[in-house]
Formats: sequence, C-alpha cells, structure tokens
Amino acid sequence: MSYPYLPADFDEKYESGWVTVPNALWDRESSRGLLREYTDQLVYASEIGFDGMVLNEHHQNIYGLMPSPNIIAAALAHATKRGKIVVLGNLLPLHINPLRVAEEYAMLDNLSDGRIVAGFAPGSGPETFNYDIPSAPSRDQFWEAVDLIRQAWTRPGPFAYEGKHYPLRYVNPWPLPTQRPHPPIWIPAGRSRGTLREIAKHGYSYFLSSRSHGSATAKSQQLFERTLEEYGQKYQPHRMGILMSVVVGETDAEAREQSREGVWYFLRNCLKGHQRREGRQLTYGPGVPYIPSEEWRDFLAATDPTTPLLGDTEDWDDLQRSQSILVGSPDTVYERILAILEAAPVGNLLLQFHLGNMPSQFTRKSMKLFADKVAPRLREASMKIYAKRFPHLDSTPAGEAVL
Amino acid sequence: MGVIEAGAGEPLVYLHGFADVHACMGELQPFHLALAQRRRLIAVALPGVNGSDELAEGATSADDVQFRLLEAFDALGLERFDLVGHCAGGWMAAEFAVRHPARVRTLSLIGASGLFVEGELIADIFMHAQPERGIDYKTLRRTLFSSSDHPLAKQWYPDIRGDIDVEARRYQMLRFGSFVGFRPPYFYARPLIGRLHRANMPALSIAGELDGFVPLAHAQAYAAGLPGAGGAARIVAGAGHAVHLEEPEAVAAAVMETLARA
Repeated sequence: MSYPYLPADFDEKYESGWVTVPNALWDRESSRGLLREYTDQLVYASEIGFDGMVLNEHHQNIYGLMPSPNIIAAALAHATKRGKIVVLGNLLPLHINPLRVAEEYAMLDNLSDGRIVAGFAPGSGPETFNYDIPSAPSRDQFWEAVDLIRQAWTRPGPFAYEGKHYPLRYVNPWPLPTQRPHPPIWIPAGRSRGTLREIAKHGYSYFLSSRSHGSATAKSQQLFERTLEEYGQKYQPHRMGILMSVVVGETDAEAREQSREGVWYFLRNCLKGHQRREGRQLTYGPGVPYIPSEEWRDFLAATDPTTPLLGDTEDWDDLQRSQSILVGSPDTVYERILAILEAAPVGNLLLQFHLGNMPSQFTRKSMKLFADKVAPRLREASMKIYAKRFPHLDSTPAGEAVL
Repeated sequence: MGVIEAGAGEPLVYLHGFADVHACMGELQPFHLALAQRRRLIAVALPGVNGSDELAEGATSADDVQFRLLEAFDALGLERFDLVGHCAGGWMAAEFAVRHPARVRTLSLIGASGLFVEGELIADIFMHAQPERGIDYKTLRRTLFSSSDHPLAKQWYPDIRGDIDVEARRYQMLRFGSFVGFRPPYFYARPLIGRLHRANMPALSIAGELDGFVPLAHAQAYAAGLPGAGGAARIVAGAGHAVHLEEPEAVAAAVMETLARA
C-alpha cells in the first residue's frame, strides 16, 4: 500500500520516506479512491483463489499507508467470504492497552466467521520515532502484551492480570474470538534466539521478516526447526512464513516492462529510510537500541556498514541475486520460488504484488497469472517436498497469501 | 557499577554524558584528569554502560537510576562528596542533589539535560545516532560538538565503523538513554525544575555556546533554579555540548571555583 504520487525528484530532495517525509506531499485529490483500490485488490485475491489476504501496520511513511490494519481487515471481513485475513501484525507497544487489540481481533474473528490470523509485532525503528516507544524496554513490554492477549482469549474472565507493564484488575473481553482456543498467532522476527524460543514455547508461527532470500532463509528455517525440537516439537512447514514480492507477466520481458517503473519507484523511494543506505535508515541501528548490548557487539563484529541494502539495488541482475522481488513469466517465477522452498521448506508464502506506483491493471493481471499458472504447480510441488522432508506429517501444500 | 578512579583527597563523583568517559572513551580525558589533581575523582558508569549492570527489566525511570546510584555510593563508602555531571549524567546528578542535599558538597552541571523548558526541545540524539549512508555521523557530531569537523568529534565519531569497543560503549549509552531518557521526548522529568530549590549547596551550571543537544535555555534554567548557582549560567564561547572535552581547562577552572566555595 505505497503512496504512488511522489514527485519525480523525491529521491534527490528528501532524506527518507519514513517518519520525517513531509505530509505536504500527500495529494488529496489524486489520492481519492486509493485506499479503496488497494482494499479491492485484496478482495480480488480472495475471489481468484489466494488462501489469504495479508495486512501490515506502518506509520507516517510512504511505504505502507495502513496505520491501522484492523480497519482494512474489517472491510475485508465484510467484503469477502473466503480466505484467511492475516493481520501481520498489530504493533503492541504502540497501544496504551493491549486489551484493545484482544477485543478488536475478537471482533474481526466474529465478523469474518473465524478467518483471522492474529499477528503481533513489537514494531521496529521507525515506529520507535513515530510513537515515542523507547526501544530498549519495548521487547519485554511486547511479550507481556502477547501474553495478556492470549490469556484474555483463553482464560475465563473476569480475572486480574498482574503484569509489569499492563496491570489490569478486570480482564473479561466480550465478544470472544470465534476460533478455539484462539486465532492462530503469528510473530514476525529475524533470527533472534530469544524471539524464536518464545514463538516455539507458546506454539505460535514464525514469519521471517526478511525481504531477501538465499542461504540466510534456509538458516532461519533450520534454526527454527532446532528451536522447536528444544521444546519437544517437530517442525512443520506451516509454522513458518516468508515474504517476497512477485511480478508475473506472460513473458519475462513483459513482466519487466510492466513492473519497471513500480519496482524502481519502490526500491528508491519507499525503501529510503527503511532498507536503503542512501539517506538515513531508521529500521535498526544504534539509535534504536532494542538489541541487547552483547548482541550488538557481535553484530558489529560480523557486519560491514557499507554493505548495500535492498533499496541500493542497482540493476535487474542485482535484483535477481537478492531473491526479493521475483519478476518474470509464470515458469520463471515458479522455478525461482520452488528453488527457495527446496532450500527452506516453508509453508506460507506472503506475496506482495503491488509495488510503488505500479498501475492497478498490471497488479491484478500479475495476481491472476500467479493464481492460474504458478500457484497450482507450486502447491503440487511443495507437497512432494514436504512429504519427503517431513514424512511424519500429513502433507498439505504451501499456502499463499497476497499482501 | 563500572568505576574509574584517579587522584587523591576529598571525593568527587563524576557522572558522564554521551561524548564522555565510559559512554565513548574507555579512559579519563584531560578535563577529568584536571579535577583529579585536586580531588579523588570517582567516575561512575551509568547503568548498562562500560561494566555497570543494566537496569532490571521493567525499570525505566530516572528514579530507578537514583537507587542504583545510592547503592553504588554506599558501597564505595561515599558519605559526602562533590558531584559533577555532564549531559544526562548532569540530569542524574541534579536528581540526586535534590533528594540528598546533605550528601552533596557542591554540584556542577555541564550541558545538563533533565529539565522541561517549553519551546526548547532537547535534540533527538537517537535520530542523529542513525548514520546517513550507513556510516556518516556528521549530524551526531554536530549535536555533540561545536562543529562536525572538530578534531575530537572526528576522532570519536568517525565516518566509518570505528573501534568496536568505542562503538559498543556508544551503543550502551544510547541503550541507557532509551531506558530512562526517551520518554517524554527526551531526557527530562517535568517535576525536577520545581525541586531544584532543595539543592542548596554551591552550584555551577555551565554549557558550550554552540551546544547542539541541550539548548542553552536549560543551562539558564538550572542556574535560575539552583539557589547556589549565582543566578546565571556560565557560557563558554565557541564550544559545543562536549564543552568539557573541547575546553577542558576553562570548564575545570569553573568547577574548581565551585569546589572552593564549599
């Protein structure tokens, strides 16, 4: 849900697309109908057979115009009859009281007849600045909020919650969620051992919050698999999801042609301030010190601050290497996703089809080609991979959802 | 608590700021050593920084730091002492002095944060700590020094991945700031200004003319609120927030004068 009406010289003139990007650039006339169209694209995804619709939460930026995903989720709950509605996720430390999130997700689960996937995230650098969230204590606060919400859904109320951050005398939400014991809980995370342990311990699902794929994706999957084993559980692909952007055309050349402007608009503008070295990146770093000091030291020793980020991608070849935005014919896209799944058997693919200022008709065409010509083959092929790798499981195909 | 000591004589406790010992440098700088000529200087590292344990989870207020300092001073056997603080360390020093005036012989605040002064927002050090192009700390240097090209600024905040120990200490100090200084935005506690009258010992409020972090109005507000500060802040011409690093002799002389008033 990017803002598509930036001036052509945006990159030259502005240091960031996040937090400090002046909202005088918002064109009220051009933007009429924009949020409706983005919502309609998700409704379209449900109609043409995607397994779900994914929403995320970002604030005061041009990358994602959805500060409150629950509002869009409510529209989708009403406008669609099938498909999971994946809210990934509500940023809990931004809420004064997470009980409100428990209540809204419960409402959405009722409205959608049990189709909600409840995502929770602590927020990253930009939200720290947007909502004045102190980074260092925010992780502790986040896990307490998740615990409070889970208890609110599962423990008979009223009960008193004696939390450090959210002490509440009466926890007793009405309505309760439709799903039992509660909607599936997804947590976006990198490769922090502490976070993976929390996810494993409570039976949540792990959404790898990286946009690029390669050996690191397989490492994350293996780490999660080992973490689950520490807690006496066996990995199964639907406990994990990954994010990638996809543009499908009839041919490779057509896909590039139709996506060129949108892809480079997205990389140069929407990632500026987030995943681009040019300008001031706010997503992680010393100014958002949520990583414990010892881990930061390891990070310093292991990384080079001059390494390009996704937004620094220079050309199509460079883009292909990062395995982040897959552009091509149905065959090309199928093969590239399959290669990722072969290395990292992950059961949930979160696919972003709209990039930057890409016109709606290209986005919809790309979605349809994927649904008709890529998804069926991927489902079949993924079942074979999972059956071989995880004979202890009933094999179910990879599911895909649209972002 | 991480502690660095130097000198002999009556005790002087030093609480550091950002561009300072513990929070950046691993050793005392000329300013601190000048004070150690006259006093037993005890530079205490704030929680989470350079060997001091981080605050317990859930402890996120300046008050939590006060109890940590009390424990540290008691453990060190420091009953009554001169107290000097820079930046956020100055804030913590002022909070201590209003609570325990009998233990503080003199109070010297250098570019201290801690007060709410309407319309005079303390700069967003967290934003400036995020480098441009992954490596460019120009605006952070200007926040902390009189110029982003000042040799000391370039030495301690270079535009490359610096010495890992230095970067790790800088990170620890930002993490400390995130626990106690991030909210409200930033580095102040509204009640403090109304409590300053309790700190009635000889006092000094001094700042660099070009302080890019804490506006000079804060130094003036401290001088106006502390009964022993003589009503006006001392402003060092041409210096920035790290005035004690840029002009060590002038700042040390001003602190010595304050010590002599006890």
